[in-house]
Order: sequence, then C-alpha cells, then structure tokens
Amino acid sequence: MTVLEVTGLRRSFAGLRAVDGVSFTVGQGEVVSVIGPNGSGKTTALNLVSGVLRPDSGRVGFLGRDVTGWRPERLAEAGLSRTFQNGRVFGNLSVAENVLIGLTSTLEAARPLARWRNVPVLRWASLLAETAVALVEPPSVRRESAERQAEVSAQLDRFGDRLTPRASDAAHTLSYANRRRTEIARALAASPALLVLDEPTAGMNPAETAEVLEQLLALKATGQTILLVEHKIDLVMRLSDRVLVLDAGAVIAAGTPDEVRTDPRVIEAYLGKRRTVARP
Amino acid sequence: MLDTALAGLVNGSSYALLALGLSLIFGVANVINFAHASVFAVGAMSGWWFSVDLDWPLWTVLLGVVAVTGLLGLVINLVAVTPLAKAPPIAALLSTFAVSVVVDNGAQLVFGPETRRFPALLATDNLGLGGLRFGTLDVTILVVAIGLMLLLGWFLRATRYGRAIRAVAQDRDAAAQMGIPLARVQNLAFVVASVLGGVAGVLGGMYLNNISPTVGSTVGMSAFAAATLGGLGSLPGAVAGGLLLGVVEAFGVSWWGGNARTLITFAVLLLVLWVRPSGLFGKRTPLAAEPMTGTFFGAARTVRLKPWQVAVAAVAAYVVPAVALDDYTVQIGVQVVVYAILALSLTLVSGQAGQISLGQAAPLAIGAYTSALLTTATGMDFWLSLPVAGVVAAVLSVVLVSPSWRLRGHYVSIATLATGLLVAAAAVNFDWLTNGPSGVSAIPPPSLFGAEVSAPLAVYFLDLTILLVVLLLVVRLRRSTLGRIWSAVREDEVAARSSGIAAADYKSLAFGIGGFVAGIGGALFAQQYGYIDPSVFGISVSLLALTIVVLGGLNSPLGAVVGAIVLVGLPEALRMLEETRMLTYGLLLLAVVLFRPQGLMGKVAR
Amino acid sequence: MISRRGLFTAAAGVGATAVLASCGRLSGDQAAAAPAPAAGPIFFGVSAPLSGASAEYGKIWRTGFDLALDEINGAGGVNGRKIELLWEDTQSDQKQSVPVAQKFAGDSRVLAELGDFASPASMAASPVYEKAHLVQFGFTNSHPDFTKGGEYMWSTSTTQQDHAPELAELAKSLGTKQAVYYINTDWGKTTWKLYEEHAKKSGFEIVHSEAVQADGSDFRPSLINGRDKGADVLVFIAYYQAAALLTQQAKNVGLGQAKIALPSSAYSPQYIALGGEATEGAQLIVRFHPGDPRPQVREFVDKYQKRYGKQPDDFGAGAYDALKILAWAVEHSDGTREGVRKALLEGKDIPSLLYGPFAFREDRRVTTPKSTRLVVKGGAFTLAGA
Repeated sequence: MTVLEVTGLRRSFAGLRAVDGVSFTVGQGEVVSVIGPNGSGKTTALNLVSGVLRPDSGRVGFLGRDVTGWRPERLAEAGLSRTFQNGRVFGNLSVAENVLIGLTSTLEAARPLARWRNVPVLRWASLLAETAVALVEPPSVRRESAERQAEVSAQLDRFGDRLTPRASDAAHTLSYANRRRTEIARALAASPALLVLDEPTAGMNPAETAEVLEQLLALKATGQTILLVEHKIDLVMRLSDRVLVLDAGAVIAAGTPDEVRTDPRVIEAYLGKRRTVARP
Repeated sequence: MLDTALAGLVNGSSYALLALGLSLIFGVANVINFAHASVFAVGAMSGWWFSVDLDWPLWTVLLGVVAVTGLLGLVINLVAVTPLAKAPPIAALLSTFAVSVVVDNGAQLVFGPETRRFPALLATDNLGLGGLRFGTLDVTILVVAIGLMLLLGWFLRATRYGRAIRAVAQDRDAAAQMGIPLARVQNLAFVVASVLGGVAGVLGGMYLNNISPTVGSTVGMSAFAAATLGGLGSLPGAVAGGLLLGVVEAFGVSWWGGNARTLITFAVLLLVLWVRPSGLFGKRTPLAAEPMTGTFFGAARTVRLKPWQVAVAAVAAYVVPAVALDDYTVQIGVQVVVYAILALSLTLVSGQAGQISLGQAAPLAIGAYTSALLTTATGMDFWLSLPVAGVVAAVLSVVLVSPSWRLRGHYVSIATLATGLLVAAAAVNFDWLTNGPSGVSAIPPPSLFGAEVSAPLAVYFLDLTILLVVLLLVVRLRRSTLGRIWSAVREDEVAARSSGIAAADYKSLAFGIGGFVAGIGGALFAQQYGYIDPSVFGISVSLLALTIVVLGGLNSPLGAVVGAIVLVGLPEALRMLEETRMLTYGLLLLAVVLFRPQGLMGKVAR
Repeated sequence: MISRRGLFTAAAGVGATAVLASCGRLSGDQAAAAPAPAAGPIFFGVSAPLSGASAEYGKIWRTGFDLALDEINGAGGVNGRKIELLWEDTQSDQKQSVPVAQKFAGDSRVLAELGDFASPASMAASPVYEKAHLVQFGFTNSHPDFTKGGEYMWSTSTTQQDHAPELAELAKSLGTKQAVYYINTDWGKTTWKLYEEHAKKSGFEIVHSEAVQADGSDFRPSLINGRDKGADVLVFIAYYQAAALLTQQAKNVGLGQAKIALPSSAYSPQYIALGGEATEGAQLIVRFHPGDPRPQVREFVDKYQKRYGKQPDDFGAGAYDALKILAWAVEHSDGTREGVRKALLEGKDIPSLLYGPFAFREDRRVTTPKSTRLVVKGGAFTLAGA
C-alpha cells in the first residue's frame, strides 16, 4: 500500500522554481531518502508535503486521500509527523512537555467534540468545551493525562539515558543532539503513519550520528514508514530502501541506493561536485 | 473632487515625512519607535524657538533643528534601544514609549504647554488650483518628502554607510560577521531618521500653523499607520503610504465628516493588512524564519509562591485596606484591581499564547459599554450584565482580531493596536449606540444583598473578589493541557502546527478568553466611575496594561497583580510633584524597562 | 506546617472580622469626616490638568487663582485666615479625577473644590463630592448635566442653553447660508444640538454642519464641503486652538470672503495670535472682555496685565472669579463644608467680576447677562459696532 503519493509538485518563490514537477511515492514500511546539493529544493519539497507551504500545482496523496493544500495541523492529525532542519523544540517547555505536545492529537477527554474541529463556527463548541474541561479537570481528564505521561516515559526510553534523566528540564537547556532527539520523540509520540525527517543528524558529530542511525534502523525494523532528507551519504545508504536525487528542483534520479550511487547524472550533479564517492 | 484630493495629498506628505523615519528605524533596528512622534514635536518646538525667540532665518532654523533632533535621536538609541538589543522587541517598543512620555512632558516643561503659532517662514497661499489655495510651503513639503525619499534611497545604495545600513536591515548577524559595526550603523540610522523627523516638525509646524509640545501625538498615529500601510522598512512604501492615507482620509472626511478621520485611518490600515499582510511595498518571506529557541522567555522564570503565601497575601488584600487605609488609597486600590484584571487578560493572550497585543483597551471598552448601556438603557441588573459584557467583548475580540492570523511578528501587534484605536473611534462615531463623545452617564452602582455597592471599600471588596476568581481561572488554564498547547504556539507556531495543533484556533481562543476577562474588567470599570466616554479607552490604557504585564514578568499571573500595584500606584505616589509628575513617571517607566526587562516577578535562569 | 483547611478557616475568620470592622465604610455617607479645623489656613482643592493635552488651561487657571489669592491674602485673608490651594494634576482624565476627589473628600481641611476642567472629568467625580458634602465648583463645566449631579455641584460657567441661541443669532446677523463646524466632544455636540434646535425654531438656513476632531490638524476636506454648498457664514463651535486653525484653513480653501462667528470659548488673545490675519473680521460673543468699562473689570485687567504682561482671557478671568466667589462663601459661612454650600445657596448679592452682584439660580448656575459682541479688528478684539 502506498502511504505517500506525490505527483507533479511545483512551487516557485519570486520567479525562482524551487520545486519543479517532483513526483514520487513512499510505500508502507519503506524508508525513502531525498538527497541533492544545497538549494536543490529538498526542504521545500518536505515543506510542501507536510503542509507548511502550499504548492502552486501538483497533488499530494496521503493514505489514499488527496491532501493537497491541507494545513499542517490537519495533516498531523491524519498521521503525518515531521521534524525540522534546525531542530524546532519548544524551548521553555520541558522535554516531557515537548513530547506531550506530540500526543495532542491523541487526546480525547481533554479535547472533547473533536469532530467539530474542522467545521467553521461550530469549532467553537469544541474549543469552549476544551476550555471548560481545562478549568474543571474531571477525573477522565486526569486519568488520560496520567496515561499520556506514561507514554511519554516510553518514548523517552527509546533514547536510552539521553533524555529520561532530563525529562523535566526546559528544552532550551539541552545540548543540540538532545534537542534533535526530543524533536524526534515528539514526532513519533502519536505513532504517525509517515515520519518526515529533515536532516535529523545535521550538526551532530560522527558518534552522535552513528547513534541516531542505530535508532532509526531500530525504528525501521518496527515497520515505521520514513521520508528522510539528509546530507550524510553513509547514513542514507545504510538506511534507505530507495533514494531520490533532486537537482534544481527536479528529480534527476531515483532507485535503490546502489543504483543511485552509480548513476552518472548523480555523480555529476551531486557526488561529483563533492569529489568524494561514499564507500559502503 | 480635485481639491479634496489635493488637500489630501498635501496633508499626506506630512505623514510621509514622518513615516520615512519610522520605516528607516524599523528596517535597521527592528523596533517600532513610539518616540518618533515626540522627535517631530521637539523639531517643531525648537524650530519655533529658533525662529521666534532667536529670530533666526529659515536655513539656520533648519540647521539648529537638525542638530537638536539628530542629537535627540542618538540619545534615544543609546539610552532606550541599544541596551535592549538582546531583550525581546516588545521591551524596546515599551522603552521608546517611555521615552515619548519623558520627551513630551519634558518639552512641556521647557517650552510651556501653550499652543502657539508657528511663523510662516514660507508662503502658505500664494498658489491656487481648482479653487484650493495652497502655497510654496505645501509644494515644498511634497517635494521634500519625495526628495528625501530619493536622497535616502541613493544614500542607502551608493554610500558605504548606506550599504552597511541595508546589510544590517537584511541580516543583523551576517552583517556583524562581515565586520560591519552594528552599533555605529544603528546610531546613524537613528540620527538620520530623527533628523528627518525634526525637519518634518519644522515643515509640519508651518503646515499645521499651530503647535504645542504634544503636537506629535496627533500626527504620530497617522504617520505610523502610513508607514505600516506602505510596508515597514520600505522607503517608497512610507511615502506612498503617507500620500495614500492622506488622500483616503480627505475623501473619507469629505463623505463622512471630520470626526470619522481616526475611524477611517485605522479601518484602512486593517483592510490593507488583511489583503496584503506586509503592507503595499513590504517584502513577505514565504516562511517565517526558524526562531532561536528560548530567546525571550528562556531568560526569565517566574517566581512561584507557596500556597500559604498566596493565602496570606489574599487575606491581607482584604484586611489591610479595611483596617489601615483611607478612602482615597482604597480608591486607588480599586483602580489597581481593575488594571490587574485587564493585565491578567494579557497574561493569557501575550504571556501564555505569545500574541503581543497593543489594543487590549478594545475589549475593556466593549465590556464597559455593554454593561453601561444594558444597565442604563434596559435596566438590566448589573450581575446579569457582567457575564454579558464578558461574552460580547470576547466575541468581538475574536471577530476583530481573527483576520490578522495571516500576519506575522510586529504586524500582529500593529493589527491589535489598530483594532484598539478603531474600537475607541467607533465609540466616538457610533452615536446612535454609544452616545458618542458624550458617553454614558448615571450608570447605576450594583447592589448586593439589597445594599448598594458604591462606597470605595465596598467596590474594592467586590472587584478584589472578582480579581481572585480571574486569577484562579488564569492559573488553572495555564496548568492545563490547553495551557501547554498555548505555550507551544507561543514558542514555535510552525512546529506546533506540525504537531497537530490548529494554531489559529488556539490564538482565537486566547483572544476570546482574554476578551472575556477584559470585558468583565470593563464592566467593573464602568460601574466604578458611573460614567464612561470614549476618551477613557485610549491607546495609553492598552500600553499601560502591556507595560504592567511586562513589568510583572510576561508569563506570571501574580506578576500582573504586582505590576498593576506598581504602575497604577506610582503616578499617585508622585502626586506631590505636580507639573513634573508625568515626566518622573516616564523616567521611572524607562528605568524599569531598561533594568528589569524580564519583569519584577521573573528571575533570571542560571 | 499548618493544614490547608485550618489555613482557610483562619483566613475566612480574619476576612469576616475585617468586613465587620469596616461595615461603616461599606455603605452610606462619608459626611461624618472629622470636622474642619477652626484655625490655620483655609484649604481649597484644585482638580486640574497640569500635564497632558489640556495642561495649558491648568496654567491659565493658575494665573487667575494666583492673582485672586494675592488679593485675598494680601488683605488679611478670610476672617483672618489665609487661603491656600491644594493642586492635584488629573490631566482632566476621569480615571484620575475620581481618586483626587476621594483625596479631597478625605482631607478634612478642604472646605471646597475647584474644577475639573472638562465636564466629563468633573461629572465622574461628582458622586464622591456629593457623598462627602463638599462643594464641587466646576466653573468651566458648561455641560447641562453637571449641576444635576447633586446639591453640591455649582458652576459659574455659561450654560450651552444660554449660549447656543446667542451664537445662532450672531451668525444669523452675518449672512444667510450658515455652515456650522463643531468639535466632536461632549461640549461641542451639546452646543450644536441646542444651536440646531434654535435654528429650527427661528427658521435659519444651515447649509452644512459637520463634527470635526477637537485635536485635528487638517480641516480642509471638511471646509471644502461647506464651500461647495455656498456657505457665506462659518460658525466654529470650538476652543481657540481649533477655531484658529479652522479660520486659517477656511481661507486656504477659498472661503476667505465668508464671515466667521465664534462662541466665547474661542475668546482668547491666543485666537488672534494663532490664527493671524485670517481672523480679521471674525465675530464673537463673550461674557467677559478686557475692554469692558466696568471699574471692577478695569482693575482686574490692569492687575493681570501688570503681573503677566498679557491680557486675561475667559479662562483666566473665570478662574479669578471662581476663587473670589468661594472665598466670599467661606467668609459668609460657619467655616464648615456644609456652610460653604449654604452660603452659595442663600447668597443674594454675591460679588463677581463676570456677573456683578448675583445670586445662583435653583439649578446652581448663573443667569448669564446678555453677552457682548466683539469683532477682530486690526489684530485686536474690539466691541462690535464701536
């Protein structure tokens, strides 16, 4: 089954075509990586897929539905979670609270009348009910809250003793690598159908990168579908089922890591420029 | 038709001159300079002094004004803006507001408060076109505005310092890494902008004929609207915005009468922002820059009181005034309490949900009018009017503010500022509903257990009780799931949305609940005075409320109460100063913003 | 550690005690303040704009008050006691005038209060003065409802009821097509309503009427409206600054030939100073003018001129007169707050610069004597027809 199906995606900024007719699919349980030189449109493509930007044209299908132009919050509720290039954590919330935010879409008792959320005007019934529940805090909400706290602990445990001891520290006090871990934990909290990662190891040293790779491999083993943008070729080659190469906003090659690595266009556009061919 | 347009053009060019300076400062320092209008007034007043008392000719008058206002601009930057470079933009905004209080009141003391005639150094009606008489002066203003825009444009493009200014405007950090002396460039921008403001003051003085030390406030808000209209940071935008606003105002006044001017100004501003969120000429980046984590709120953590400390404080708040304070002090206490309620509404909107509002007087006014009109016109019981006032203020707050969700950063604050001014202007203009400038009088005091609540102490007890309820409400909301969701929206809206949080809905909700609380405060306000009119709900109320919250520590409910005690109590404590009272108040305000930008109740995290 | 419940019980107990203790202050009259001291200086409170946009009026008040104080205290004071003023700055803002009222009310030395400048600021404070049985002498408060606030609200201001018809008659005598501009404040609006009523009754033609912003700076678009309707008389219901601006800009839009009629609130040497040549020929109706030949006026004008180097205007004269009237009332009282009110109520021939010996009407206002018409001629106010 196809989780994500992107066809003919286009977006330009002030006449510059950042993404120019990109099409690809991501299947259930697959890990697909997008690589390409700086400015080739990788991050823009992710932003278009995750609803942070609206495409000029093209179609995004997610779990069989046309989700083109959906707002990011709606996509997130539908099961698409993402992380950001520079690690966007909520600096003044604790690590645990950051992960709790990732669980927001799973709340039922604390967010009543969720069905009306996307209906104009009527959404206020849901918002006001949420306010009332926040003020009164009935037992059901307290119970739910306790359950979610337990889930948070489970999520943090994924990263061994990296985050758990710091669960109640404010996120802005964390090291860079731990912020990225927090962000991944937040994105994974709601068990998304598709996890979109934008350079999860950017700025990390080799040891940290290796650690993240292990964690992502473990995640892949559980059957998690992942769309990944990454610069570090080693990581991409080890993790990916398929690789997509972008240059100047267009897909210039696609296939298994081995196919892509030997593609002359790729070597010219990307690997050639770096003058280093990654060894397996 | 033609002469109305022409009159608008002439008036608009004086807005354009001021808007140029505002835009330049915004571009370089990313600060909305509330003191710019005061610089204009100082330019006008010193120009008057040079030409009338010292009898200088026009060119030396201009040189003198350039020297005075250039120096003033430098001082403003060094004293009020540069020290806050690391603080959030809101701190610099409030400090420039404090500077404007100091400069306006200082000028009143130096020059005397009288309105005086500005000498006509240029002819004012030697030319004619289509029945409208105008003069060399009007043409000069228009030419100078456009000329200065071109000159500035040239300066920014062709000179080393100009390029430095542009580099800083585009990316401060990158410019600093390139070895551009940030401090010097920002000084230069303030000096240039203030000189523009001073020259505008001289020309504006001639144009307005009459000037006083407070002349800036009249023109300032329109110039501010003009700069935003054109797109903050854009010089052609400032001029185009000024001229456009002038013409639209002229036709609006011609059709709907002179009293509609403010209403027109801010309705136009809001409409333009809704259609073009970065103004007519402003550049809009498609995606907000990724924020640095924990820049502002990370600096401060709120002081937490233990429950027994809160309980003791609450009991003391009841007992001490009853036992130890006279009615005058209790009356001040009533004001403190009402401002604390207003400030708490901002704690939710600005502190919790991160939406800096410069227009919280709007729901206060709506609540006050709702309760006042219901109790006087329909004889509704006060106790019923209280929640109704809250609900009406909440609904209108949401409706008025929600189109601003497309806006970002400073533009959100500006939209709230415009909303606040629009509501006050509506109260003046919608005579049939609000009784216009005459206001609503003879608002009956509420009764409780058959007794009238009107003695200061009784009103104080009533308001204090409501304050405590609101405080409890705010504290509970902050600690709930909802509070956490708001925090996420405040910290990083894009990340919050990608986590499944409908940020716009939650911002609306924050404004809604904030509006409800402010509306309740408004109802209490109306009952407290028994009389309200539109002048009560000016921009100073909005700014005071925000200053209270910032002083108290933006994200601390108790801080809002402490801030209200300090800032509402202070002008009363300074009463013995008479004429120098507001000057001193401004200086203290400035000191508070400079030395405790994290707030009284915030402590710096280690 | 005290238990939570115990804490709240204790708190409730203390709270209840406090409420009981303060029962007397929760309701009823505060007239039971300590009696005024019988010796030492006599105090009047002044609630006035000393800073803010109306500060210049506070400053003019001071000139009038200081002159009156010098006279009274120089002559040995009232009943051998000097008069002193307690100034409080309110910026003429009701948020500040109410606490100031509370302050005066609680200060037993204060025998009467002067001000505030703007009617809304005064009216918001009236309930406090009424409860404290303290005379609130709002000598610039022309709002018809001001003295309806209670027994203790008094005013020597002209009321708009008297003034508006006179202004209308003045305008009528100047031309046939009137354009009326009024500042959009409570005062401007009330005056305009009364003006319009009178015009309807008397059948004048008003070709255009428009509210303008009191602190506005550009009135040209509004004036163009009047010009296009062929107005030959312009009526500016405004204070002197706005009136001067309107006068000047009328000339700019080609209304130079139209006659101008003004109310007494525009009467000030400042009107001519600010408006310049454009004011030439403008006509006003005033209750006070320095050229008045009555001896008390001559004496006042000379003294004022000598001390301040300029001629007094309506506000300066009004302040001087108000203080003298209050001093007279104290002299004819038993030295209590209530006594001051009684003296004003019962006084038959109260001496006054503006009104000659007069008595207050039942509505605690003054019947304005027929006002005088002035015309601006050669850069000065002169009696019309003289």
